[in-house]
Amino acid sequence: MHRPPSRLRTLLASASPAVWVLLAIAVVTSLYVWQRPARHYEGLLFWTAARAHTPAYAPLIEKWNRVHPPEKRVNMLLLDSGALERRMLSGFLSGTPVSDLMEVERSVAGRAFTGPVEDVGFLDLTDRLRDEGLLDKINAPSFGAWTTRGRIFGLPHDVHPVLLAYRSDIVEAAGIDVSQIETWDDLIRAFRPLMKDFDGDGRTDRYILNFWSTNGDVATALMLQAGGRFFDENDRPVINSEINARVLATLATWTAGTTRISVDAPEFSATGNQLRLQGTVIASVMPDWLAGVWKIDLPALSGKIKLMPLPTWTPGGRRTSAQGGSMLGIPKASRDPEACWAFAKELYLSPALAAESYRALSIITPVKEFWSLPVFDEPDAYFGGQPAGRLFINQAPNVPTRSSSPYGTLAQARITDALISLAAVINRTGETDVEKLLPEARRLLDFAQDQVARQVDRNVFLRPSPPVATSVSELSAPSAVSQP
Amino acid sequence: MTGDLSFSARQKLLLIPVYTLLTIAAVVTLVPFVWMTCAAFKNNADFFSSLFLPTGDGFLGIDWSRLTITNFKRLFTELSLGNALMNSFFLSSVSALLATLCSAAGGYALAKFRFAGRGVVLNLVLIALVIPGPLLMAPGYQLIYKLGLLDTYAGLILPGVAPAFGIFLFRQAAMNAIPHELLESARIDGAGELRIFFTMVLPLLRPMIGAFLMITFLGTWNNFIGPQIILQSPELFPLSVAINQLRGLYGTDYGMIMSGTLVSIAPVLALFLLLQKEFIAGLTSGAVKG
Repeated sequence: MHRPPSRLRTLLASASPAVWVLLAIAVVTSLYVWQRPARHYEGLLFWTAARAHTPAYAPLIEKWNRVHPPEKRVNMLLLDSGALERRMLSGFLSGTPVSDLMEVERSVAGRAFTGPVEDVGFLDLTDRLRDEGLLDKINAPSFGAWTTRGRIFGLPHDVHPVLLAYRSDIVEAAGIDVSQIETWDDLIRAFRPLMKDFDGDGRTDRYILNFWSTNGDVATALMLQAGGRFFDENDRPVINSEINARVLATLATWTAGTTRISVDAPEFSATGNQLRLQGTVIASVMPDWLAGVWKIDLPALSGKIKLMPLPTWTPGGRRTSAQGGSMLGIPKASRDPEACWAFAKELYLSPALAAESYRALSIITPVKEFWSLPVFDEPDAYFGGQPAGRLFINQAPNVPTRSSSPYGTLAQARITDALISLAAVINRTGETDVEKLLPEARRLLDFAQDQVARQVDRNVFLRPSPPVATSVSELSAPSAVSQP
Repeated sequence: MTGDLSFSARQKLLLIPVYTLLTIAAVVTLVPFVWMTCAAFKNNADFFSSLFLPTGDGFLGIDWSRLTITNFKRLFTELSLGNALMNSFFLSSVSALLATLCSAAGGYALAKFRFAGRGVVLNLVLIALVIPGPLLMAPGYQLIYKLGLLDTYAGLILPGVAPAFGIFLFRQAAMNAIPHELLESARIDGAGELRIFFTMVLPLLRPMIGAFLMITFLGTWNNFIGPQIILQSPELFPLSVAINQLRGLYGTDYGMIMSGTLVSIAPVLALFLLLQKEFIAGLTSGAVKG
């Protein structure tokens, strides 16, 4: 006799197994999520995107929280840089919630400086910094990236001076005395004998410098070192300067033609690190934070690397540059700006943080009085026993002041385009004389300038205002109408 | 001799180059997975200095002693990956079930019911199909904020409950798979609309349901931008966001990222293998007109 299927079997057969599997997962995980207590953040929210900073911040936040009432306690939340940028802009532009305090990287912070200066989403810290003597206490160039139209919107986290790291095992074995090297020309002259074709295949196996025409970070750092700028005090682009053109032409000759001295060994890449490990690269431009990265990613180079100031572009010139940077900003929507300001000072002006940031990440504090801390004089085994901290600090006061323009990333991209084009010209024509390349370098930078200026001009708040007539009589008289 | 070969033998011979090419393609496709698996067992220094496994004097020229499971240990201790895994399962399964149910209901209604404004609704669905998702991100964020749903799972699940793509897909499936006569006879027999939907329509749409569940589940599992923007409490993060947190300002813990990615792939791979028959049946249903 045929038995009708049970209700359960009918029910199970009515839907696909996928439904039942997912339903089971949904029920189990819903129970898990439901029973989990929701976290309530009591007090102030502090967003940061720098995971590496958080271990050093945690004890200071704990200390702060121990002595402050619940509403002033700080909760640090680690966000992805992209998420932080989107939330920050959304908060500043449309009033969605932002944290009470946020640590942002240079390229992200610049995005907040696009509109009128009075509408920047961060609290203007200029007067506080001046009144409390912090403008003198903190390395002046470190404020550059957080200053727009004369107002400062962030407390600097770092200086990020740049030195030159070189393979001391190779250089010293060749009997080269780097203390005799002052300019880039000196460096190339001294190191050129080290460029060799070891296997006889007609291709060079070792190059002087890690640099390539696509490396906009280093190219712009070297332009800044030479005294070049990309934006003036009013955030207008000044890319096509003579200094920039000369540096661009020189850099192009480093990457192409018979004068090539560089190889592309990108940071944070397996191929780049492999080239560093096998000695294909002798020298690399190194900001302080990169020293910390190398210690973690390239431990095999410990003791084989030393630091020296960047060679200058002209005798007596600047021997450093700057690359990267972060700030602590207080959004205007912060629930307790005074408590945030007090916390910001406690955090960034802490000698413990200065020492720990150096120990863990090789980052130099911008607070000048901490530069005398003994930690910076400790011999660093990674850098052949050199006091790496002291070497960075020696150059810290000389780092160039950088612009906070929201168009900085665009300017860098266009300069990189110009460098790539100029390198292509060298490859095509074989011309490597910097003087003869200058007209083309100027033309390419004029084009870059034009492209960036067009974008900047679309921003009514950064566009130079046309003369404004204040009365009917002035309208009829085209003579000078002075701008306030 | 070739002339003596039967037709089927010649056919088989012709398949040799095809299978050779397919095997090469499969190997090439697998290379990134092999690389990722190797990277998951390396420390950061070895990650940057060896392509697959660290070379040495060991078996097959590999330094086996340098391989480590530290990345996996750290994933579950420092990153609370178990919690992120549960969050991902919760978000993906609930979103997939709700989206499938609502899409099936919406698609069925548009396909089989005559009601005022049906054309308008259908046009709205079609318009919604052509609007790129990223364009809706900013207004969506604003709306979720106004609804007080920021940093909640509801803020992530609700916007995806009735996707235009799903509604249109089920409308097409319902038009082809469900005869009017069947619905009419059910109504004549006294079945209510809900009963018809659950006991007749959904079983008839079963292949499409399997495929759409899979699509939605995988889509939510891999969704990164949405949770990254909407959620801010670390304990709510799904795998995609939790793993991305390992990317840093001064460097990235690639070993951890690769081990995390490996862990995140495993459950969905298992689910896909379990349900691939349904998935493929759904995708190919209607491909050949019977």
